[in-house]
Amino acid sequence: MLPAPSIYASISYPSLPLPSPILYKSIAGSSIISQFCLDACQMDQILPQKFVLEAQEAESISQYLNLPSVQHLLPRLVQSAQSLARPPISNFHVGAVGLGSDGRVFIGVNLEFPGLPLHHSVHAEQFLLTNLALHGCPQLLSFAVSDAPCGHCRQFLQELRNSSSLGILVTSHVQGNLDKSLSFKPLSEILTNPFGPHDLLSEEIPLLLEPHNNGLSLLPKKALYVEGNSTNLCNGNCELSACNENSVKLSSGNREKNEKDEILLRKAALEAANNSHAPYSGCPSGVALMDSEGKVYRGSYLESAAYNPSLGPIQAALVAFLAGGGVGYKGIVAAVLVEKEEAKVKQEDTARLILKAVSPRCEFTVFYCRSAESGCKK
Amino acid sequence: MDQILPKKFVLEVEEAQSIRQSLNLPSVLHLLPSLVQSAQSLARPPISNFFVGAVGLGSDGRVFIGVNLEFPGVPLHHSVHAEQFLLTNLAVHGCPRLLSLAVSDAPCGHCRQFLQELRDGSSLEILVTSHVGGNLDKGPSFKPLSEILPNPFGPHDLLGKEIPLLLEPHNNGFSLLPKNAVYVDENSSNLCNGECELSSGNEISGQLSNGNWEKNEKDGILLRKAAFEAANNAHAPYSGCPSGVALMDSEGKVYKGSYLESAAYNPSLGPVQAALVAYVAGGGGGYERILAAVLVELEEAKVKQEDTARLILKAVSPRCEFTAFYCRPAKNGPAKPNLVGGY
Repeated sequence: MLPAPSIYASISYPSLPLPSPILYKSIAGSSIISQFCLDACQMDQILPQKFVLEAQEAESISQYLNLPSVQHLLPRLVQSAQSLARPPISNFHVGAVGLGSDGRVFIGVNLEFPGLPLHHSVHAEQFLLTNLALHGCPQLLSFAVSDAPCGHCRQFLQELRNSSSLGILVTSHVQGNLDKSLSFKPLSEILTNPFGPHDLLSEEIPLLLEPHNNGLSLLPKKALYVEGNSTNLCNGNCELSACNENSVKLSSGNREKNEKDEILLRKAALEAANNSHAPYSGCPSGVALMDSEGKVYRGSYLESAAYNPSLGPIQAALVAFLAGGGVGYKGIVAAVLVEKEEAKVKQEDTARLILKAVSPRCEFTVFYCRSAESGCKK
Repeated sequence: MDQILPKKFVLEVEEAQSIRQSLNLPSVLHLLPSLVQSAQSLARPPISNFFVGAVGLGSDGRVFIGVNLEFPGVPLHHSVHAEQFLLTNLAVHGCPRLLSLAVSDAPCGHCRQFLQELRDGSSLEILVTSHVGGNLDKGPSFKPLSEILPNPFGPHDLLGKEIPLLLEPHNNGFSLLPKNAVYVDENSSNLCNGECELSSGNEISGQLSNGNWEKNEKDGILLRKAAFEAANNAHAPYSGCPSGVALMDSEGKVYKGSYLESAAYNPSLGPVQAALVAYVAGGGGGYERILAAVLVELEEAKVKQEDTARLILKAVSPRCEFTAFYCRPAKNGPAKPNLVGGY
């Protein structure tokens, strides 16, 4: 009997082993290794391929490395983070390491998707913020990143409440001994006179990472909208595999998707839609993905005041998949999108397109919802 | 201003000079902020209703307009910002350099990034009319882009100096396929495009359901040629996947747009958007008058536009007939970047 799938992507990792005396000595005593960053190999011995460090872990590692604070740890983890990036188009690996207000440390990496236009790419800074959102961390204090954030990211970061004071360190710009001065600069210095939420929203509207509840509920089951000519009956699967039937048994043979799974996915996608940050369009949305082991990952649409830098719900869910330990995208076997029925900003067709490129065998279903009377503004 | 300046997106050199003179301004540069409000009125932002206008001065003395475009029914990343429209407008009209621009609101980070695609983008002079206090005549306060996007990431980080940048002449070295071997991808929905999905009684014939206009073979060739030219002019040095789109309206007029890539990837302007800029700047009316569209892109493109192009056109002009053609680079075409591995 298969274990019951969990709703939340749980990151379970063994308790952090004490670094061996030899390792510690070699790091502390080495004159070859720059004080600036440990190489990925050494860091991997301390830090397995994870996207979140709990507060105690981060503290422990800082202490082992004899650092004054966890903030000093951030730049040292950047190179290791870069190795987790997935940029098959550019091969330009970007890593970002951020410190949450609750003491946790989060990783962000860039993702690129061959076969699709470039605007579907996820930047490391976007991954980082999505990672915090996914783990319910309410504030990002500072982050270190391998390369200067591009304008698109500097704009996306404006969605944070404390954006102008967000501290940023670019490791490729730092010369010499890191310990002397941690050169974090505020975001306001690298995007002056920004355009952002303050230009469009009133103060009480929740911003990115703040609790959202869009008051959405799924449409009644009997009014379940299945577009006649949509490819719900012939999705990515049909187009590509000749002998695929529209049955619950997936061709991977691994797992039989059942009604219980569908309910789980739908519930997760609805939750993600309810948590979605979409104050500009009023069109929140969420996606839930399930892998071949029945594990569920969910992501919420995260909108930008400048529109174009908005992070789509599929991308947000893919961030959750990777941050949750997912390996190959082909392991994603089912996806559900929840969005408003008559949305001015619709994700459905785009979501289908992305999934077709990323995981062709993934079964994709869309459910529509509506907001309660007292729900979000539009 | 509307009496002086009808709804146009380009002012020729003499026009710009004569308007400047009639307004008693010292230079055409001073004219730019005065035209911003009029430009704003040409914007098409049905989602936000936030009208943005940009007015730019080209190195050849012409003045260009840019406005923002939004497309209900598709995700927000398809929006065109006024600054992007402006640059695309210069590209459409073959203006080799943008000297300065005035815009109604501070450019967002996405645009500040997109502007990096210009040679010496950092020195581009920008004036934000909503930030200018007092009398404009005193002296318009243009600031360089470097001041509002310090330490930028851009082409200089990725490309050799000899690679052409945005607005510089591009020739991607595509070759027209031999007439009898025109490659039409059998798997694409050339036979059942955006139209089929939506109209029940539509046949795949030359007669379009609105009865206005019959697309014939000659039109098809025109469109294909224009899209091919647009693909050859596309700025895609990062992916090595240039593309172009040509649109035809109900009067048979053709508008073409080239894909314009950004070093930061996401701010890249898709070929459909570029063609829509050409359409709007060329005096095109409602999008529903666009009846046919052709996309040309590389056969095995790591960055593919086809499905996305179809999606946008379905939302923007549901009756538009869409066809994709593929091509291969010439043997001696520009070097493709080293695209290694997939996942």
